[in-house]
Amino acid sequence: MTAVNVIYINGLGNVSPQKTTDNNHFLDEVNRTQSNRLACIEPNYRDFISPDILRRMGRLIKMGVASSRICLADSGCGMPDAIITGTGLGCLEDTEKFLTTLIRNKEELLTPTSFIQSTHNTVSAQIALLLRCHNYNYTYVHRGWSFESALLDSVIQLRNGRTSTVLTGGMDELTNGSFEITSRLGHWRRKPVDTFELFTSTSRGSIAGEGSAFFLLSTTASHGTYAALTDILTFNRKDSVKSLPSILSGFLNRSGIMPEEIDLAVCGMNGDSTSAKPYKELTDSVKNAGIAAWKHLSGEYMTSSAFGLWMASMIMKHGQVPEAAVVRNCGDRPINTILLYNHYLDLNHSFILIRKP
Amino acid sequence: MDELINKLKKEVITQLNLEDISVDDINPDAPLFGEGLGLDSIDALELIVLLEKNYGIKIEDPKDGKKIFYSIRTMAEYITEHQKKA
Repeated sequence: MTAVNVIYINGLGNVSPQKTTDNNHFLDEVNRTQSNRLACIEPNYRDFISPDILRRMGRLIKMGVASSRICLADSGCGMPDAIITGTGLGCLEDTEKFLTTLIRNKEELLTPTSFIQSTHNTVSAQIALLLRCHNYNYTYVHRGWSFESALLDSVIQLRNGRTSTVLTGGMDELTNGSFEITSRLGHWRRKPVDTFELFTSTSRGSIAGEGSAFFLLSTTASHGTYAALTDILTFNRKDSVKSLPSILSGFLNRSGIMPEEIDLAVCGMNGDSTSAKPYKELTDSVKNAGIAAWKHLSGEYMTSSAFGLWMASMIMKHGQVPEAAVVRNCGDRPINTILLYNHYLDLNHSFILIRKP
Repeated sequence: MDELINKLKKEVITQLNLEDISVDDINPDAPLFGEGLGLDSIDALELIVLLEKNYGIKIEDPKDGKKIFYSIRTMAEYITEHQKKA
């Protein structure tokens, strides 16, 4: 076994509330809307999955399988050495269906399909079944760190030298039931908001979202490599006496980088006044860097950092930030180092560092 | 019998989410499993629930399943027979 230091992002696949399924286009046409929830623009699933298999799949499984297929095709990898996913709430639609039937039918006459599909690892399992892939298969369910945990495990698998390609993804779906419950908890804006005015209209709550993004990570670069995945850190600030700038400084030190070397910070700011402070601290810590945001495009959900990493990877490859994502312009400065920062409800914080390959 | 066969076809299409199949596509005498509609063991469980939920019929002996669920017609005959007994 040989220790590996550099990990490359060689393929992307993203089903989101934006037109993101075609990697030849990068947010050149943006879905701007007046709402407090965003739903995915779903592709024609028959382009990816045969109808006899499709009939049993719930929406999140379809989104997950389609985005994984786009990613594999983009990377040219036919069979990954591992499939690792992260999901905050899993296949919610089928969970709701199964539990509703359970209550309505007094725990009798339960159909198997929605039960089978309601488990959190169904997406990675379906991808493996369709590929006939018997390799390492794991799903992480760690609230706002679910995708980051999948990414971290992918890095460990690749660095230990036993695997050379990992298909990694993060996905969550929004249902009417979950939107209603989380609305009661004050997670979302009470009234519809212009998604492009999310950051300027200070108020409690964000906009709800959903999506599924996959990445083909590899120990070797290819002609289509998007970026090099340098480091990842998850942390809980409530357990830490350290300030955010000091955690950032320690994180960057591990890669021998100074805050001034960050060309662009891609941040998970979500327009919720109760979540804004850490993002302000972060953007103040990287004064020279440009700032980009993604949650007005994807909405907030537990694995939205997967959309963020997709956006950061595309920015690295294209060398520029799409107009729709700019918060603070980085001018003509070349983009060689991108820091991704996200937090979920100020509980689950994460840094991801990518560099030009 | 024809009315029940048509009703069953509609119910099977809905229960099994057979998106591409219409009532006219289903031959009532064709096998449901393997050939014909190509259903599998998960579909068999769905059909058992369908019989119990929509017709109040509980299949006591699993061995009978093969005969009852051979085709839409055999299902319809079993339902008719069961309803006569009741």
